Amino acid sequence: MTIPAAEIHVERLEKVFSVPVREAGLRASLRSLVHREVREVRAVNGVSFTIEPGEVVGFLGPNGAGKTTTLKMLSGLLQPSGGKATVLGYEPGRRDPAMLSRLALVMGNRNQLQWDLPAMDSFELNRAIYRIPRSEFIEMRDELIELLEIAELVTKPVRNLSLGERMKVEIAGSLLHRPIVLFLDEPTIGLDITMQKRIRSFISEYNLRYGATVVLTSHYMADVQALCKRVIIIHHGNVLFDGDLAALSQKFAATKTVVIRFEQLLPATANDVGVPDLSRFGTVVSVADGAVSLTVSRDEVARITAQILNDFSVLDLTIEDPPIDDVIERVFAAGATVEGVTGG
Amino acid sequence: MTIDYVNTDTPTFRSARAPRLAWSFFRVGAMNELQYRSNFFLQLLESVLTLGAGLVGLAVVFGRTTSLGGWSRPELLVVMGVFTMVGGITNTFVVPNMQKLVEDIQRGTLDFALTKPADAQILVSVRQVSIWQSVDILTGLIVLIVGMVQLGDNSNGVKGAVSLVMLLLLGSWTIYCFWLILASSAFWFIRVNEMQELFQGLFRSGQYPVRIYPGWMRFGLTFLVPIGFAVTVPAEAATNRLTGMTVVVALAAAALFGIGSRWIWRTGLKRYSGASA
Amino acid sequence: MANTVTEIILRDQVRVSRWRSMISLYWMLAKTAMQIQFQYRVSNYFYMIGMVVEPTIYLVVWRTIAESSGGAVGGYTAGTFAAYYIVWTLVRNMNIVFTPFGWEARIREGELSGQLLRPVHPIHYDLGSFAGWKVIVIVFWIPIAAVLSLAFRPTLDPNMEQCIVFFIAIWGAYLIRSMLLWVLGMVSFWTTRVSALFTIYFTAELLLSGRLVPMTLMPGWVQGLSWFLPFRWTFGFPITALVGPISRTELVVGVFAQIGWVLFGVLLVKVVWKRGIRKFSAVGG
Repeated sequence: MTIPAAEIHVERLEKVFSVPVREAGLRASLRSLVHREVREVRAVNGVSFTIEPGEVVGFLGPNGAGKTTTLKMLSGLLQPSGGKATVLGYEPGRRDPAMLSRLALVMGNRNQLQWDLPAMDSFELNRAIYRIPRSEFIEMRDELIELLEIAELVTKPVRNLSLGERMKVEIAGSLLHRPIVLFLDEPTIGLDITMQKRIRSFISEYNLRYGATVVLTSHYMADVQALCKRVIIIHHGNVLFDGDLAALSQKFAATKTVVIRFEQLLPATANDVGVPDLSRFGTVVSVADGAVSLTVSRDEVARITAQILNDFSVLDLTIEDPPIDDVIERVFAAGATVEGVTGG
Repeated sequence: MTIDYVNTDTPTFRSARAPRLAWSFFRVGAMNELQYRSNFFLQLLESVLTLGAGLVGLAVVFGRTTSLGGWSRPELLVVMGVFTMVGGITNTFVVPNMQKLVEDIQRGTLDFALTKPADAQILVSVRQVSIWQSVDILTGLIVLIVGMVQLGDNSNGVKGAVSLVMLLLLGSWTIYCFWLILASSAFWFIRVNEMQELFQGLFRSGQYPVRIYPGWMRFGLTFLVPIGFAVTVPAEAATNRLTGMTVVVALAAAALFGIGSRWIWRTGLKRYSGASA
Repeated sequence: MANTVTEIILRDQVRVSRWRSMISLYWMLAKTAMQIQFQYRVSNYFYMIGMVVEPTIYLVVWRTIAESSGGAVGGYTAGTFAAYYIVWTLVRNMNIVFTPFGWEARIREGELSGQLLRPVHPIHYDLGSFAGWKVIVIVFWIPIAAVLSLAFRPTLDPNMEQCIVFFIAIWGAYLIRSMLLWVLGMVSFWTTRVSALFTIYFTAELLLSGRLVPMTLMPGWVQGLSWFLPFRWTFGFPITALVGPISRTELVVGVFAQIGWVLFGVLLVKVVWKRGIRKFSAVGG
């Protein structure tokens, strides 16, 4: 039997939704009984890319960009309105059992495991669903338990677990059949930092051990930075950037945001809110509650921070990456479709 | 469909007078629900089908006999009509409030009731209305009238109608008290939702006069779960079977249930406020 | 280079044979359901007790009529009425399946999407887990039946054939109703305004299945009609198989009728599902 190539190929993929439009008011409601107005929403607007076996790719984009819709089309949940896609050589829309038993879609806040029973019991159920031979199943299950450090958690009813614990256990359940294509939709959403890190390192390990192809969507830059060499930025259903993550950061995230909280507030006057004027250091983004947000160019951050700390009594100072939405806005502003530097 | 449309946690509502309050709730809720006109047709269909099934049952029964436990066919029509009406009254005015009350107790959002316990019972009992359920009142009334017309001489005429209405209200009051007790048990127990469903199931026994049930059932369905008072007694008023004794007992039961439910409510409320203080 | 990595580490999937895995799946689903429902035993009991009210009403009414009509009516005595309605409670529990009203939530809350990602037809999840639930239900039912029997003294004397057919029939009823209510539920793929349709269906079922009264007490034309509809095979037939009076021919005919309706149901599910999924995956969940 030939092993299907764990490759994902997408060509001008489209998804258009017809959304009913209804205005407020009684008259509009009556009118809508007779004449239904629809609005077309192009959730995915001609997306093309190819992912090679073993790659870990990040889909980045703000909410509503089309990331989840694309994943759903690739896993067979949604039929495309146009274009074509193949996953593992199969057309996802056909939902071939042979394809389904080689892929997994894990969504951030969805529960697949039985709520009232220990995860172990749900694992057994998955074994039956995916027709996994016993010895293979035990081996995989134990590996996953070890990698995710969930040995004490799998014997407790799922409802008794915290959000992060539940996520780990859900991931384990989704991988028992050793899928070679893994779609992860916001896997770290709502989790604390430690848990996010744990899950990221697990995904990386899974990719290395089994050579699985991983597509990850997120709006946390940190997820993508930790895992993906390659990112695809999707915005308004279009691919804005497809290439090396390093190149993206270099090109577009040219600034950092410094937030400073001052120890002593100057007396507030009519125009002044009691904080010193920092406009000579960078662009003042906002002044609120005694804290100043400052946008500073990347190369200058260290110097400027040191100077501020030197010149003022600072209570608290944080340096943040610009939010991904800003980076994307920059990407968008730099040109509608940017073909980035492709790299391995 | 019921909507909790008013924020009851404002000073205005805490100090307003009960009857005016009740009216404003009703008005707002009714206006809101009236928008959903499809619900009316849906409710009408369900009401007609349920009633229709009950009438088919009666037809099959009376295809085989001329009297059931001493009750003739028109008399049983009257019972069916009263049963449907009481169901409609309960589902429109009582059940939505009691379900919301249980929810509030379970979620701990009953705090507005703690400021003025005297008004609280009224507040929690009138704030919701399930307006489309009242279709049952209409369909039940139609069946009731048909039954009374068929009875002709044997019904009690105007006097019967008046005592019917009064006993109907009395019976509904008794059922409300029972529901309040049921809902208040949420102050102590968790399994209240299931008990409520159990009661809804038990209520179906009201479509026939409770007198036909064996002794132990009859007792339970009259004095423990006051279905007999809610349905059979008003029906007896309309079918000229009412005795003075029955009326006295019904009044006594209504009073006892009223006092009992009030006491349980207040005790539960104290427990609730004690727990969160 | 990535390709070599994949080829070295992966072996192609060895899979358990289809039949063995189906049996294994059903066993796991049933076992899981039994564990869960046992946890919810108090809820189960409350529900079952509440459900007993309906047949008790019918029983009392018909018993009264039988007694005032010289002991029997339509071939049923007080004793056989009691038997009919007590067996009714078991049959009723057996034919409870996933409610069509629940489909909208299933679609909306993403449960269906989750199921679609797996290489198993979602109906198996329902069939398997409800079957497990039924086992628990049968065990819980026994004390309730005992109490009802004490109260109403049923006359029950089935022969061996009747018992065997009864056992087959209750599972046949379960399957028929599973299929048909699945089809009903799938209407939710096309519209959410389904309440009216469901209510009509259930009312028809109430009157034509033997749930309200034994079908032999219904007028001739109603009985005739019920022969062509699936309802009597989900309710009346299993009950009368055990309670009688029923001839061997009727038992055999009944089993074949059930098989026929199951097959019809399966076909209908296949057809509607294919269309429904197409609709669903055009719009998404």
